Parts: sequence; C-alpha cells; structure tokens
Amino acid sequence: MSTMMEPALQERFEQLKNQWKVQSKYLSNTAQMAMLWSYQQIIGMGAPVLPLILAELLHETDHWFWALEAIAGENPVPAEAAGDVAASADAWLEWGRSKGLLRDNV
Amino acid sequence: MSEEFPRLGRHRARQTSPPDVGYNCIAWSAGDTTRWWQPGLYWPVKTSRDDWSVRALEQAFRALGYEECRDESPEEGYEKVALCGFGFYYTHAARQLPNGRWTSKLGKAEDIEHESPDDVAGGLYGEVVQFMRRRIAEIR
Repeated sequence: MSTMMEPALQERFEQLKNQWKVQSKYLSNTAQMAMLWSYQQIIGMGAPVLPLILAELLHETDHWFWALEAIAGENPVPAEAAGDVAASADAWLEWGRSKGLLRDNV
Repeated sequence: MSEEFPRLGRHRARQTSPPDVGYNCIAWSAGDTTRWWQPGLYWPVKTSRDDWSVRALEQAFRALGYEECRDESPEEGYEKVALCGFGFYYTHAARQLPNGRWTSKLGKAEDIEHESPDDVAGGLYGEVVQFMRRRIAEIR
C-alpha cells in the first residue's frame, strides 16, 4: 500500500470534501450521503485523514460522523445525543482532542 | 436546483427557513427541528441501522400515528405526509400544511413551501411512493 504524503493527502481531501458537499447538500438519508463515491474515497484514506476530517468538523458542522466511526472503529457520541448533530460534533471533537488528533488553532 | 428538482419550477415555491444541518426532512415532517432522524441515530421505532428502505420510513410514521391513505388531497381533520423513494433508499418526506400546501426540508439545506409533493420528485428524490395521514386530534 502506498503512503500518501501530507500535502497530497490534504489536497485530495479538499477535492473530495468539496465534491461531497455539493453532492450531499439536498440529501436527507445519511446512508445515501455516505455511499457517495467522494465520501467512500475519504473513508478509504484511513486513519491519516482523521485530523483533516476533525479540523473540517471544527470549521463547519456536517455529517462526518459515519466516516469518523468507520475509520476510528469507535463512536464517542453518548446514546442520548444520537441524532443531535451539534452534540455529536462536540463529542467527536472532544474525542479528537483526547487522541491528539485535533489542534484548535488549525 | 433544476437538476436535483426538475419539477420544482412548475408551481410557486418559497424558501421558509435558512439552511440547517441539524435536522432533516424526516424530522421536519415529524415536527422536530432538534435532531437528524436516521435509523441507527434517532428513529421512533427499533430498526437496523442498515435499513434505509421506504418500509423503514413507513414504519417510523406509523409509530407516530399515521396510516396509509390514497392521495395528497386535503382531508378535514387529518394531517398528511408524502414519502419519496429512489431505488433502494427512502429519500424524502414532505408534510401537508393546514392551508393544503406542502412543506419540505431539503436535506441539509433550507425548508420550502410548495404546491404538491410531486414538486420535489422526479430527480434526486425519485418519486412519491406513499401518502399517509393521521387525525390532527391525535397530535394536539
């Protein structure tokens, strides 16, 4: 498996993220959003993309939870916050900080 | 938007809210603007997180007191919803307003008021596949 260097990873993530934002804007079914090719490509980038997703989540709340859970293999969102997008984002951002994957000054 | 909603231009429609990523059309049709309704996240009946079917959506509205009905025509004493599907997925729910028009939350974007459920069909949301109704008295 090849290792993607950070600038290339960031550039690729930006391209895919922008594509996904456009494609998913009017979708209400999260599964449909997650099955979009651009989102699947982001998941396929694996653990190295986690800091980029978390930085994006800090910048703008969106439905990154599926990708985060798929890559990280865990879900820090408490059961009572399920479906609460702002609370879910907060839980993932806190998780990112605890893992050293998120710098708040990004 | 014409590519996603090719029929929306036929009738008068107006935006009624700013974009909001915090709730979706299912939540909006159920009267909830605090959560994103999705099997595996928040859903009014127990279901698999992998069930993204129209049937899962129908079961959700049945749990809210809705029953299947024939069409979109207003009925005295009833509130209606229209369910859309595209292939394997449920895609959308719209809710009838007391004035007989319809309201839709468009994914992560805005709410709109429109003439008919069919206005948001024919593109991204596929087609209207089911109408459901419940007595207004049951929700007051």
